[in-house]
Amino acid sequence: MTAVALSRSRPAPVLRIEIRRSVVLWAVPLLLALFYFDSFRTAAGFPPVWTVRSSVITSHMVADFGPFAAGLAAWVASREGRRKTDDLLATTVRPAWARQASALGATLFWLLLTFLAGVAAIYIDTARQATWGGPPLWPVAVGVVGVVTFAVIGFTAGALFPGRFTAPLAAIGTFLLAEIGFHAALQVVPGGSTYALLSTATAVPLGDDGVFYRVAPDLSIVQVMFMGGITVALLGLLTLAPFFRVAYRGLLAGVSRTGRWLCVAGVALLAAGVTAAATAFALAGTAQLAVSGWAIPALHDSASDQPVPYTPDCAGTSFKVCVHPAFSGFLGGANAALQPVAAEIAGLPGAPVRAEQVPSGEGVRAAQGLVLPGLRRAGLSGTPPVYNYTSDNGLAPFFGSPEGTDNAGWRAGFQQVFLTAFIAGQPHVSPGRDAAVLPPNAAQQAVITALMTAVGSPAPVFGEDTTNGQPTAGATPTQIAAAAQRFASLSSAARHAWLAAHLPALRAGRVTLAQLP
Amino acid sequence: MTTTDVQKPAAPAAPARWQPAPGLRLVWLHWRSRRVPAAVLALAVCGGVLRAALEWGWLFRTGHFAQEFPMIIEGGAAAVLVITTHSPFGEPERTASRWLPYLRLGTAAAMTGVAIGVLQLAVTGASLDGGILVMARNVIGIAGIGLLSSLVTGGLLAWVLPMGYIAFAEYALLESWTNPWTWPVRPPADHGAWLCACAVFAAGVVAFTIRGARTRLADDS
Repeated sequence: MTAVALSRSRPAPVLRIEIRRSVVLWAVPLLLALFYFDSFRTAAGFPPVWTVRSSVITSHMVADFGPFAAGLAAWVASREGRRKTDDLLATTVRPAWARQASALGATLFWLLLTFLAGVAAIYIDTARQATWGGPPLWPVAVGVVGVVTFAVIGFTAGALFPGRFTAPLAAIGTFLLAEIGFHAALQVVPGGSTYALLSTATAVPLGDDGVFYRVAPDLSIVQVMFMGGITVALLGLLTLAPFFRVAYRGLLAGVSRTGRWLCVAGVALLAAGVTAAATAFALAGTAQLAVSGWAIPALHDSASDQPVPYTPDCAGTSFKVCVHPAFSGFLGGANAALQPVAAEIAGLPGAPVRAEQVPSGEGVRAAQGLVLPGLRRAGLSGTPPVYNYTSDNGLAPFFGSPEGTDNAGWRAGFQQVFLTAFIAGQPHVSPGRDAAVLPPNAAQQAVITALMTAVGSPAPVFGEDTTNGQPTAGATPTQIAAAAQRFASLSSAARHAWLAAHLPALRAGRVTLAQLP
Repeated sequence: MTTTDVQKPAAPAAPARWQPAPGLRLVWLHWRSRRVPAAVLALAVCGGVLRAALEWGWLFRTGHFAQEFPMIIEGGAAAVLVITTHSPFGEPERTASRWLPYLRLGTAAAMTGVAIGVLQLAVTGASLDGGILVMARNVIGIAGIGLLSSLVTGGLLAWVLPMGYIAFAEYALLESWTNPWTWPVRPPADHGAWLCACAVFAAGVVAFTIRGARTRLADDS
């Protein structure tokens, strides 16, 4: 066997050499440090819900790895051009595309190995804390394709424009691209920017994303198709690059020299990539908001809009507090918060017999058009009355580590929202994009404060909103606090009796601060 | 017939051209060897992108996120200027030129000034969050990181660490960190942040002036 034949039949040694000498190895410690500070710590701050924590893979990890993937790939690709060894290497037996494939393969090897190690770290940490569900794979697929796309963009830039500034400019360019995507993703609205949906970046997800309804893979499919299309098109461009360097008259000669099949393959890759990316762009433009996330009609499976069956985890006897099994870690905190105040209002007209977690998606986000109507509403409903609450509770959310609920401040927030729903009814939301939940009126605030004081909780904070210079609640916080102290100083039986007689009027907003005993 | 016979007659002497002073010529040749003109062009591109972002609303004007986009551009400008630390001549230049440390010092300082000037020119008349103070502080500090990095990685790969710092600072920005060494997140007139950024730049310039960028690693990789 001749050296030429050996070289033709065994591409693996070249790849092994490239992997061993890859410049990415130098950047791996930096990538791991970035991963720890940004992605891992962010994921650890989310509740231990698989779908929520996995969102970090696409929103943070791709942005952390992408610019370095582009810059380092550009550096690797521009090697021959920088060293002006093109002509020298053109005389070797191995074709240019094979050399480039080995260099790109080695770059991707270390990048993806580091990326997948990061994914494994997030998933192992989640597995240790999660109480329901399993690891989703679509975010991993999107993340891997995203990193590959960034790398191929950089590699193409480096191969076509070799120079000392290509690598940093490729890194900065892709960094800016990711940043613009993040900017668009934070402002995404139905019927808005298509790029916002194609960007892998997302806003901070709701704590129960993918819990009550599965996350539809529609958007992930489109993102993979879009980025994969770009990657394939750029690979086609790289394949055709040698033909761009010959003059028009020498084009045919160039084709015959380099190989017709290579030319055909390059054109086919370019066409397929552009078609896939364009199709994905068009599909993303048809996305609509559904209970399972963004639904793309051509790809959507209506089965994913059905609720995911589950058996709630409950605590308590006369008053039951239930959570979704994905939030079992929060049950103790929720139960400890609600039982004392539930006992205070037990027997009153409309007093709930049960507290149950329902899907997020009401209130301010609904007013922005970002969630669908038709979901179970937070607040009191049904016969006998049930208190429905969400993980997206503004004062005491099921977010972060469940250990974070083991404090008086969190419990007080949970009690405040519960009592506000009972005493003041459904929260009133001001109209418009900047919608805000309006506070209860002065008498309602005083009663809520008194009931919380009676169970030993800190006084709630309602804010000091003003309308045209006057307190929105109808009285100043000092006046409300004095009335609350007066009401709390009554005996438990007296408070209960007064509430039993006046609760409908209080709930309707017809009781003034002065009318409180 | 000898080679002398086939030699062409010497061409008539060309008219004397204006020659710059030797010092200026040395500086110009040094800059050309470091691709300074191309770096200035790349800085102009950075400035153009920043201006386009301000004009077309690619960035947030206020709040936590307002500094993100400009910071990437500023870090990019710093990364571009540290690429000019690479010498194509390596060891021979070090042994032959006694003016080299001064040329390094002058080039690093001049390029930092040019980067700040170009970016300031780009945002003139547009409202940039933090203004020129934050922009200058970011460029100075991140350039210092790049200059220090060039001593280890070589000039051509000296952009990697500044990019890492930018990515880290983006996280610090979102998390509202207040450490002075995360100077991009600090207010424009914050003394601690200025002190940190200037200290890093001073350390980078001094080390780079004395040692110069590493020449072997970048060429070998």
